[in-house]
Amino acid sequence: MAEAMLRLEGIHKRFGQLEVLRGIDLEVAKGEVVCILGPSGSGKSTLLRCVNLLEPPEQGEIFLEGHDICKGPGSGTGEQSWELNFVRQRVGMVFQQFNLFPHKTVLENVSLAPRRVLGKSRRESETKARALLERVGLGDKFNQYPERLSGGQQQRVAIARALAMEPHVMLFDEVTSALDPELVKEVLDTMRELASEGMTMLVVTHEMGFAREVGDQVVFMDGGVIVERGKPADVLDDPREERTRRFLGLVLDR
Amino acid sequence: MSEFFNQYFDFTIMGDHFSEVLEGFFKNLLLFAVVVVLALVWGLVLALLRQLPGRKFAPLRFLTIGYIDVLRAIPILIILLLISGGIPYLDFIPKDIRIPQWLGQPDPFWYSVLGLTLVYGAYMAEVYRAGIEAIPRGQAEAARSLGMSHGKAMRHVVVPQAVTKIPAPMLNEMISLLKDTTLASVVALGESVLVSREILAETFNSSAVILAGLMFLAITCRQRDWSTS
Repeated sequence: MAEAMLRLEGIHKRFGQLEVLRGIDLEVAKGEVVCILGPSGSGKSTLLRCVNLLEPPEQGEIFLEGHDICKGPGSGTGEQSWELNFVRQRVGMVFQQFNLFPHKTVLENVSLAPRRVLGKSRRESETKARALLERVGLGDKFNQYPERLSGGQQQRVAIARALAMEPHVMLFDEVTSALDPELVKEVLDTMRELASEGMTMLVVTHEMGFAREVGDQVVFMDGGVIVERGKPADVLDDPREERTRRFLGLVLDR
Repeated sequence: MSEFFNQYFDFTIMGDHFSEVLEGFFKNLLLFAVVVVLALVWGLVLALLRQLPGRKFAPLRFLTIGYIDVLRAIPILIILLLISGGIPYLDFIPKDIRIPQWLGQPDPFWYSVLGLTLVYGAYMAEVYRAGIEAIPRGQAEAARSLGMSHGKAMRHVVVPQAVTKIPAPMLNEMISLLKDTTLASVVALGESVLVSREILAETFNSSAVILAGLMFLAITCRQRDWSTS
């Protein structure tokens, strides 16, 4: 049986006194799209941020392509190559607030990391960047600065930027929550396409339609634990747990 | 009333001693020019040391913060006196370094350079820090998520944005520095205050001191124009 792309075992994380993640186990197969739902404060974003070690967990193990990434070099596991920055090259992240670099053009935003981290030449990284920007439908914008773009366009640039590092896993942290409703679709369409091309994705979202249509697995979190998980149709249409029902009732009734 | 004008605005005295005071003022400017460059660099180094992440670098961070706090607390005058009063007698330092007569400038000049750089580096480090902390965390997070090390994230994403936020407070520090070059008078550097005090002692008239003040005013007003537009 093939090793899962991503495996989380017994993840615990606290911020001071507050325990935000109370034992999370999750497995994500290659090419799988996992949608994480839940009320605010449930720990969904924190969980995502653990995967690329923006928030290192206090307890638990994370296996990326079979390699334990919680133990860096010098830990005795022999995994010299899987140190922090290397992990982050394999795992791309897109943020709710886009976080584009305002002092750089769209093209520079996308080509910066391949140039400075992977050491690619300017020509090579810019060619690649142009191709990615075309792919997300922004081929005509590459000389603009981010402030001139709409939210949906900025978010698509952010996706292209993350893809430029050729990650094996993409993390999406409520990427449409800060967008005006009419701009949400273009971003979701981009994500849908990415999924159909076989990208392994972890998506924290409130977009139930997306979860239902694109998700392979839906996970409901509340209070730092996974309350329920399963196929989208099962969790969204016929949830077993009371907490899930309550949450979905609130969200779907809008 | 005419007493007042005689004491402070005796143009004859100003005319007689103009070139002396001006020559002294040039020493203020030279000191300023040298220190401002060194302090801008030293301040940035301090600010970056302070930002180094992780447990590994904690000692360095604490040392840097300690340095910044101490050097902003002790009066510059005391620091200059400690330097010029003590260093000449530290025999373990070679004489050429202990009593520097470099580039045609006497040792009081270089003691002042050292003292002012050490102190203003600390103040500038805090200005840089304010600039760096003004950049939203998401910027550094996005950079790190792309696989950039802390150093690369600072160099390519955070610091370039931070330096656009600091011209106004930095200019304030520089104006302060220009005025503080007059402290070199207590370590016997022949700058404008030292010279004008000597003239005051000789003539019992303060016009030369006013003259020195006017020279500073002339330069600083222009600085303000550049920044506010």
